[in-house]
Amino acid sequence: MKLQHHLGGLENLGPVAYEPRVFVEDWEQRIFGIHVAMMGLSAHLGDAVPQYPVEDVPSAFSSVWTWADLRKGAEAMHPFAYFQYRYYEKWLGGIGGFFVSQGYITEEELEAKAAEYLQDPGLDLPEGGDERIDDQVIRYLREGDSPRQGPAGSPAFAVGDRVTVTDVPPTEHTRLPGNLRGRTGTVERVFEGNYGYFCSTGPDGIGEPMPVYAVRFEPTDLWGELAEPGAVLYGELYQAYLTHAMEEQQ
Amino acid sequence: MTVQFGYPEDREARSAARVRALEALLIEKGVITGATVDKVLGYFETDMTPLNGAKIVARAWTDPEFAERLVKDTPAAVAELALPIGMDGAEGEHLQAVANTPGVHNLVICTLCSCFPWPVLGLPPYWYKDPTFRARAAREPRVVLKETGLDLDPSVELRVWDSSGHSRWFVVPQRPAGTDGMTEEELAALVTTESMIGIAEVPSPAA
Repeated sequence: MKLQHHLGGLENLGPVAYEPRVFVEDWEQRIFGIHVAMMGLSAHLGDAVPQYPVEDVPSAFSSVWTWADLRKGAEAMHPFAYFQYRYYEKWLGGIGGFFVSQGYITEEELEAKAAEYLQDPGLDLPEGGDERIDDQVIRYLREGDSPRQGPAGSPAFAVGDRVTVTDVPPTEHTRLPGNLRGRTGTVERVFEGNYGYFCSTGPDGIGEPMPVYAVRFEPTDLWGELAEPGAVLYGELYQAYLTHAMEEQQ
Repeated sequence: MTVQFGYPEDREARSAARVRALEALLIEKGVITGATVDKVLGYFETDMTPLNGAKIVARAWTDPEFAERLVKDTPAAVAELALPIGMDGAEGEHLQAVANTPGVHNLVICTLCSCFPWPVLGLPPYWYKDPTFRARAAREPRVVLKETGLDLDPSVELRVWDSSGHSRWFVVPQRPAGTDGMTEEELAALVTTESMIGIAEVPSPAA
């Protein structure tokens, strides 16, 4: 298992640091902007609902980059390092590593350039580039990339059904919160339509369009004697993660 | 973030230099332009801010029928307001509002990452992304809320929404007392990001 898939309910972490800012260092804004640009230029957007003309956008970026890629990077980290580094430090590590691994840049170039900026942080950035790149990125922000796909099928579960969450062997990436594995809850809402995911998660089971449910879990069913009275948890779960509860099957 | 790790003294300077180097190389190689990052940041500074969420909440407080539509079909209700273009754009494709009542308080979390309804709330504050908050809010949300100053009555059901699917949840807090006769604009000015995530109530305006 990966700790990053099982954060919910982890004990002994101490107080929460209530830092209300979005960015705590100026440099964090830059990696955020780079990530958004990658998402807005991602090769898969030609197949998105707005049918973005990404093939005609004159950017050298030719990869697929979605939330799934960023999440996979975070989920692949050493679990202690996941806690050690700040949010945007993890982004910088993952995104920098991606551009090196995909051959856009070399680690040597990056280190040499970083050494220059470390010595003289006031050095300017290069200028110029084709505005159509920016137009596509902003258009992506305005129009998005909905995971809703295809005609609505017939959902396997209905409101009020008791469902037990699957406990498939862990994979590289999942959208199943670990604290819900094997637990039983009640379907409170069936979302209209079917929803895909950015990539196939293999045996984990999501990727192709499928129904999604809001499932209500009572606190004692999740945490036993550690439960807080009157605090219910809702998971938004893809159909692949649900089975009819044993009590229903009898 | 906890300070239990031995960090190098020039931690931030190194990150700053590395990200600047990365941006410079990406501009040089034609991946992005010299203006791309600034344009993205500008978009969030001017168009996609918690002000949008605050306007939605204020409308819900003054128009009960809108409040009902907002919970039933959030994107359609949001589209009724004169907000910046892009409310159903990135991370707003499937907005979902949940409304607080005297008997129910809602809290939005994301235990797997940091899903957040960008168009209505802007970008997430650091505490929301902190693994400590995400881990603890799933199991002991009342304790977590109490630490931040919200002491919920035991009779109130606390509903915690873990953003593990396609929906991007936000909370419609309760209208505070002492706001009778206020305009929608005045009401919107009271609404905080924290209240729309669910770790706080909207405070009563000072009399």
